[in-house]
Amino acid sequence: MNKRFIDIWGWPIVLSLLTVFGLLSALLGTGIWHWLSWVAMALPLVVMGCYWRKAKVMESSSRRR
Amino acid sequence: MSIRTWYLTHKWSSLVCTAFLLMLCITGLPLIFHEEIEQLSGVVEAPAMAEGTPNASMDAVAEAARQQRPQDVIRFMFWEQDEHPNVTLVSMAKSMDASPDDSNIVLIDSRTAKVLDEPPPDHGFMYVMLKLHIDMFAGLPGMLFLGLMGLLFAVAIISGIVLYHPFMRRLDFGTVRREKQARLKWLDIHNLLGVATLVWALVVGITGTINTLSQIVIMVWQADQMAEMIAPYKGLPPPVKLGSLQDSIDTAKQAVPDMHVSFVAFPGSMFSSPHHYTVFLKGNTPVTSRLLRPALIDAQTAKLTDTREMPWYVKTLLLSQPLHFGDYGGLPLKIIWALLDLVTIVVLVSGLYLWIKRRQHTEQRIADLEHKHAATARGGVR
Repeated sequence: MNKRFIDIWGWPIVLSLLTVFGLLSALLGTGIWHWLSWVAMALPLVVMGCYWRKAKVMESSSRRR
Repeated sequence: MSIRTWYLTHKWSSLVCTAFLLMLCITGLPLIFHEEIEQLSGVVEAPAMAEGTPNASMDAVAEAARQQRPQDVIRFMFWEQDEHPNVTLVSMAKSMDASPDDSNIVLIDSRTAKVLDEPPPDHGFMYVMLKLHIDMFAGLPGMLFLGLMGLLFAVAIISGIVLYHPFMRRLDFGTVRREKQARLKWLDIHNLLGVATLVWALVVGITGTINTLSQIVIMVWQADQMAEMIAPYKGLPPPVKLGSLQDSIDTAKQAVPDMHVSFVAFPGSMFSSPHHYTVFLKGNTPVTSRLLRPALIDAQTAKLTDTREMPWYVKTLLLSQPLHFGDYGGLPLKIIWALLDLVTIVVLVSGLYLWIKRRQHTEQRIADLEHKHAATARGGVR
């Protein structure tokens, strides 16, 4: 089954927008904008970590079977 | 362009730049934290004095520096209120046109004009990291070469984005096929990490390339705006006796009241003319504190010659610096910068691994994809 454009690009677009926001908010603002920047920039790292972990869990469970 | 062309673009742009990008990622990692590392290794601080103790005349500060290093000339004076409160940093060298590497910094208490420290030039670990990262000890050619590598990195990222689509046509986002061959697993990790960090990698890559042009940008600025501002002095002999530095700084402050002084370039130095103290002022917001504004002060009369906003190309350079260094959002942003740097290392190494392992397999996969793509395209027309 072939995926639609949004199925393939949905997550990458969200992560890219978060990064753009994070890069600019710390540059243009102070205080709360720094906090928002840290959260926005950390989210792609969290997403990467989650999927990496998920694959590890699946791997070990498939081994057990 | 066909998928094959994009694939070849990705492969060759990556292959050429990967070794250098790895070096840049590894040397860049400690550089992200250079301020913290310098703090840990101990910097001399100005002693505590009553709040609001006024500064000494900067003429006295300059005199103290000259007495400390009588054989040298002062090229620059600068202030880093956050990192070194109440300290004037004086950059001295044998002559005005000596190499920047041959500079000596003298730290002077801004309030008492007493010399605090004269650290020997750093040739330790951080210096080696910095030199490797900037120009690999190869001067301007090395710097421009690394800029080219940064451009190739951008090409590799963009072609990688194009290739992401066909590779992910049958996979959910983030799928890592661990149960199959190791090559598939690393392909999936390469795709996941690459696409999740693409904006950061592009921004840091391109701003890095812009930074490699800094010397050229400064030369253009000198030939363009600086030359216009000092045109009335053309052909005049350089002044023998200089006027008051403090008066010159005061003149600059009056001319640009809403900004504060960041550094002063002395007459004859790189950022000035033989006839002027050039006082660079910066604003108070995160952005305007990066956008320096020069005020040229006649070094004999301490009167304002001209002050202008920097042209767009200098502004681009000045704003690309924080976006490359990641030093504009506190320690949390630096940690994020370091983590993204590590992720980029994984993307680079996995890419290299994918190329070494099973080259033929990838060729076959591209052929399949091209075939299928053509079939879908034909289907779409009908």
